[in-house]
Amino acid sequence: MTERCLSGAGKAMQLWKAYARSKSAVFGLVFLVGLALAAAFAGYIFHVNPELPDLAKDRVPPSFEHWFGTDYLGRDQLVLIVYGARPSLIIAFTAGALLSVLGTLTGVLAGYFGGRIDGFIMRTADVFLTIPTLPLVILVVALMGPNLFNVMLIIGLTGWPVMARIVRADTLSLMKREFIEIERVMGASIRRILFMHLLPNQLNSILVYTSLSIPVVILTEAGLEFLGLTPLSISWGFMLNTSISYWISGAWWLSFFPGLAIFSTALAFYFVSDGLKEALNPKAKRRRESLVVQLATRK
Amino acid sequence: MAVAIALIFVVGTLNFVLVHLVPGGPGAILLNNPRMSPSAKDAVLRSFGLDKPLQEQYVLYLAGLVTGNWGTSYFFLEPAFDVIASRIPATLLLMVPSLILTILIGIVLGVLAARRPFTYVDRFLSAFSFFFYAMPAFWLGFVLLTVFALFLDVLPAAGMSSITVSGFDMIDYLRHLILPMTTLTLVNIANFSLLVRASLVEVLDQNYITTARGKGLPERLVFYRHALRNGLLPTVTMIGLFVGFILTGAILTETVFSWPGLGLLTFDSILRRDYPIVLGLFFIFSVMIIASNLVTDLIYGLLDPRITYD
Repeated sequence: MTERCLSGAGKAMQLWKAYARSKSAVFGLVFLVGLALAAAFAGYIFHVNPELPDLAKDRVPPSFEHWFGTDYLGRDQLVLIVYGARPSLIIAFTAGALLSVLGTLTGVLAGYFGGRIDGFIMRTADVFLTIPTLPLVILVVALMGPNLFNVMLIIGLTGWPVMARIVRADTLSLMKREFIEIERVMGASIRRILFMHLLPNQLNSILVYTSLSIPVVILTEAGLEFLGLTPLSISWGFMLNTSISYWISGAWWLSFFPGLAIFSTALAFYFVSDGLKEALNPKAKRRRESLVVQLATRK
Repeated sequence: MAVAIALIFVVGTLNFVLVHLVPGGPGAILLNNPRMSPSAKDAVLRSFGLDKPLQEQYVLYLAGLVTGNWGTSYFFLEPAFDVIASRIPATLLLMVPSLILTILIGIVLGVLAARRPFTYVDRFLSAFSFFFYAMPAFWLGFVLLTVFALFLDVLPAAGMSSITVSGFDMIDYLRHLILPMTTLTLVNIANFSLLVRASLVEVLDQNYITTARGKGLPERLVFYRHALRNGLLPTVTMIGLFVGFILTGAILTETVFSWPGLGLLTFDSILRRDYPIVLGLFFIFSVMIIASNLVTDLIYGLLDPRITYD
């Protein structure tokens, strides 16, 4: 028993060492954890109401008192950005999880059953890949109302096809391996093959591609907020939306800092996903495939 | 071709279903007025054909899509089709130059990286691509706008032409084009450079390359004649998908730079709750992407004789 625990801990240590080889991956992780903690405990860090306007301080440039300056209502932008991390991170994780679960299930079923089921699932995926995602998301959110749940749902529902392709390809190659064939000959149930073999064996690549799709989710969500499709008064994209009317006054910090927040969060997720890939799939190192490559090599 | 038509049909159906999924149905937007008498409501419903059974509405809707009857814009009070069609040239004037530039730069960067894979050059180029890939197009637009239009004051900030210029002036258009085009190009380069690099590196591992090298061909010839030709094939497929990426980027970029195309119309129409326009825009975006996919598939067939079409 102790031995197993030790080997588990040892394995985790080994993984961490492989992960920590990449400085940018560690940096990305620290950034994200810090951001998540700050967003969660924002109420304890700043003792101000983030939404309370102070018109006397309308558009004050960055200073020691207000690091990121104040916005057109005189609200401190640092406080707004920390609070604004909430919707971004919540959507990033929930929509990311949704698209990953959907993609994994459809992909593994398509690969396992083959034939008509495979054809149906993959043709559906093709349709979703062809429909322009952002316009569809815009349309649905505009029609159904911009609440967080709708945004999460629609980003998750449009994002699964790439994941399904990857999982299907992995499943197909696993199905040819001997240990699965032996299980099948011995009459193992579908459930056993799926949950004991097919899914655990591709957990690594599922994790890597989930983390790789999260920056896309963040940018899509920020784009929605920028277009004004958000229920929240405080979010990064919406800060950029309101800054449109003020850029000509030279208040560059109104758009610079919220955008910087979106950009650095997306970049941090890329760093983390790169580190995960190096740590979990060392063999794939030479092939540094990316989401875009997977997308394009579909033929 | 059949697939493309089927896809357009799917998109049209999706449009129809979405409108009817709205709480209250399509009439809710029009009838949201407590002072309207029941008979007036009936008249409105009848004039838009909303009193007919659902399947009949569906058939009428599909027929309307084909014949260009996309409803009337609530804001312009003009046919939605005309409003959208009048904005298409501006979007193409931004998209096409950006598309060409992105493909060229992407291929050059990808080739440079693949020439020396896993070296510092390669790493730098990958980092460069990812750097801009993680950047929201609208933010990059703002940064360029602030630096070049506001602080340096060397380029125009908004629109497609100066108010002082009458008719189409090439130099004026190009000056307005620089900032939005740069934005749209930079955020999309990664799509190409990473793909070209990855597929070239893969091709360079193949046996026929080893054979070519074994024959003693100079490395330049092996790379540019043997590897590049095959390595660029996936890129052709990418161009079809890429039209989708660039459209998405254009919606956001046009908004920042007030470029009078489909993207700005999307932004404005959402603001005005002008649903016929929003629906029509989604349809036209889908048709553009489906059409470009079709064209790339055909080009692909010409380039790669192993692929045939029935």
